[in-house]
Amino acid sequence: MLFNSIEFALFFPIVTAVYFTAPQRWRVHVLLVASCVFYMAFIPVYILILLVTILIDYIAGICLERVEGRSRKALLCVSIVSTCLVLFVFKYFAFFTGSFASVANCLGWKILPPAVKIILPIGLSFHTFQSLSYVIEVYKGRQKAERNFIVYATYVMFFPQLVAGPIERPQNLIHQFSEEHLLRYEQVTAGLKRMAWGFFKKLVVADRLALYVNDVYGTPRNYNGLQLTTATVFFAYQIYCDFSGYSDIAIGAAQILGFRLIENFRTPYYSLSVSEFWRRWHMSLSTWFKDYLYIPLGGNRVGRGRHVINLLITFAVSGLWHGANWTYVIWGVLNGIYLVIGDMTKVWRNRFFGVFGLHEGTRVRRMIKLGTTFVLTCIAWIVFRARNAQDAAYVFTHLGVGWDFHKLATEQFFLRQFPITVAAILVLELGQRIGNYTIPRVVGNWSIAPRWIAYASFVLMVVMFGVYRKMQFIYFQF
Amino acid sequence: MDQSAELDGETFGVTAGAMAEIEGAVGDADQASESAHSALEPREAVVRVVWFFVLVGAIAFAMNAAINAGLRRVQTSYFGAWNKVMQGQVNAAIVISGSSRAAYHYDPRTIQAVTGYSAYNLGRPGTQTDVQAAVLKAYLEHNRKPLLVIHNLDAFSFVSSREIFDPALYVPYLNDKEIYDPLSKIDPTLYKSKYIPLYGYVVSDMNLTWITGLKALLGVSPREDYFLGFSPRDKVWTDDFEKYKTTNPHGVNFPVENQAVQALRGLILECSKNQIPLLFVYSPEYGEMQAMTNDRNAIFKEFHALGDQYHIPIWDYSDWKYDRDISYFYNSQHLNAQGAAAFSEDFALRLRSYLASGFKSNAELQAASVTNRLAGSRD
Repeated sequence: MLFNSIEFALFFPIVTAVYFTAPQRWRVHVLLVASCVFYMAFIPVYILILLVTILIDYIAGICLERVEGRSRKALLCVSIVSTCLVLFVFKYFAFFTGSFASVANCLGWKILPPAVKIILPIGLSFHTFQSLSYVIEVYKGRQKAERNFIVYATYVMFFPQLVAGPIERPQNLIHQFSEEHLLRYEQVTAGLKRMAWGFFKKLVVADRLALYVNDVYGTPRNYNGLQLTTATVFFAYQIYCDFSGYSDIAIGAAQILGFRLIENFRTPYYSLSVSEFWRRWHMSLSTWFKDYLYIPLGGNRVGRGRHVINLLITFAVSGLWHGANWTYVIWGVLNGIYLVIGDMTKVWRNRFFGVFGLHEGTRVRRMIKLGTTFVLTCIAWIVFRARNAQDAAYVFTHLGVGWDFHKLATEQFFLRQFPITVAAILVLELGQRIGNYTIPRVVGNWSIAPRWIAYASFVLMVVMFGVYRKMQFIYFQF
Repeated sequence: MDQSAELDGETFGVTAGAMAEIEGAVGDADQASESAHSALEPREAVVRVVWFFVLVGAIAFAMNAAINAGLRRVQTSYFGAWNKVMQGQVNAAIVISGSSRAAYHYDPRTIQAVTGYSAYNLGRPGTQTDVQAAVLKAYLEHNRKPLLVIHNLDAFSFVSSREIFDPALYVPYLNDKEIYDPLSKIDPTLYKSKYIPLYGYVVSDMNLTWITGLKALLGVSPREDYFLGFSPRDKVWTDDFEKYKTTNPHGVNFPVENQAVQALRGLILECSKNQIPLLFVYSPEYGEMQAMTNDRNAIFKEFHALGDQYHIPIWDYSDWKYDRDISYFYNSQHLNAQGAAAFSEDFALRLRSYLASGFKSNAELQAASVTNRLAGSRD
């Protein structure tokens, strides 16, 4: 079920009403049933896949507490491998067999990849990682194994964050299913405001930008350098608003039900370095990779060469997590390279800027850093968004070619859409720069009539300027 | 990702730590501002939230009504052309129906000037025969019966609609059965546009038509670019066709779908029921495109089969004198303004002779009664 659908507009109030009217001991059951309904709205039978991973890790969690020594480690490996196997079969089988066949063909062996078409279950990567974090935490002794199967299943399947995160840690979420949540006015209104902001990002910004981006990146050779550049910048905003919009809706919906989910984004495009960007972008995934891959590999407490390798491995795997395509791997590695180069050139850059009196912290230096980080991020997004490496190379090499200001529109995105799009981006920036702090305080202190008019106007603005093509959230596919 | 990495950045003077503080403060501010209401009992809280959404719903309902009223009021552009049809203001002697090729090719002003009969163009861009039949039916429902219907044929006449193009155009008139019923067969979810406020304008429509409606309510009409339903395209030939040829090196196919054949048959029967003579015209198409349409013979065979069965003449302009001159086209299917002027002139002259001959070729079925009616309705 999509958040931006009429079905969800009916589903969510019903679930909320049933949840708060149900006795405390049944509430978690209500959430589990609701989560099953939510997930089955996509492809019903795929819930069985989820059930398999849930069963594996539920049993593994309990067993991990009972065994000691080597068997404990073996059990963890079995659990991780079997959970990842499900992900591999559904997400990576075709990719790896196809890549193997390509390499084999290059070597002169004629191998045809198996012609298997598997539809990827929505959000499989997310709940796989959430399951994995549970068993790893139990293994490390930082989380007690959950005995109540209903609670554990609800932890993996909790519908607000089931298909696109935030990827929760068991320490943050599991105990909340046992707490009694009261229906509190301020909690409901805060959740609704967060959801409204998420819908604004998704419907008004991301989905309108998608019209342009899809046209240009669908057939990049039909567009000039100006259009390719515009589409690339638009994609940077699209993917941010799409994904952080989803996170806002998820966090807001959970908040209405009384749950606190972890934050996933902190205005990443205001970052002054790529490393800062990765501390502010998809934070639940970044910390997952940091805790469960980068640090176990040795992190930065190893030699310089090994540290570089650790970074590149982590980012390559992170890229692969996003999709079974070499473009995602390249995107991940490119980000890793940014970090390595950034680290290696830090002293040199400080000296260079020092010559011009642009020391760390000066306004001009900050602006340069902000701009550079955004440009580097956009360059990486080209690889991420392009259909294949050839398209990405074409976009790279034609960004500055044949700029024609008379040819800015595309087939689906007419010139008259630009003012709305630019205005939407400005509202987004305004909301992020001052809105988060000032607007709720100012509007919240108004009396009920003007306050409600302000809120209703915002809701209607989202409704009226939104784009409602059946576009899934980008991150559903991961 | 670096364990030891410090937050080395500032965002316009706001450090990440400060950002976190601000976010904390946001929560505090939010809670403080709502603290006056936080003592609400759960029941009161629910009532208050429900009332808020009732308010939003009521405003949406009112806006929907305002947009409907505004769009119905428009007298210019595409909307004006359609409103005149639905409000019974046309009552022309000759009407032209069809797709964008009809809307952009036939200038009723030329036809009127040459033949002396009033004319109106019902062409609907982006439509297939099923919607064109519904539009003609709606016209006949609201206006005096014409003396002749000219239906423009396309290579894709026998392809059914997959979706409703420009759906917001029809939203103000969804209570009209003759529009709602055929359109809901194409889009079974059309009831949402009819019953859910704003759905038809914001969910189904991508063109922000609601802004046109609200502006019209304030007296601001769109620019006039439809003249008696005809829209001249002031465009020049682009490289689109070259791209099209590259992407379709083996030509293109337009299937003959039974459902679409039945739609054209329905249009014929509607005219027959109302005793209105019908004329099929295949207006000019760029010559190279004709060669690219693989199943063109099958499509024309079907046109002729229907024409023969119901005694409808077919005027085929496939070999029009300018069919390979790109200065008369802006793409393979559409004439530009210059092409439309030339074609309308040619067509009107031929039509004048045809009308003067008393529909000789249009079968015994209809001719006799029509000649008399035409004589009485000269402008």
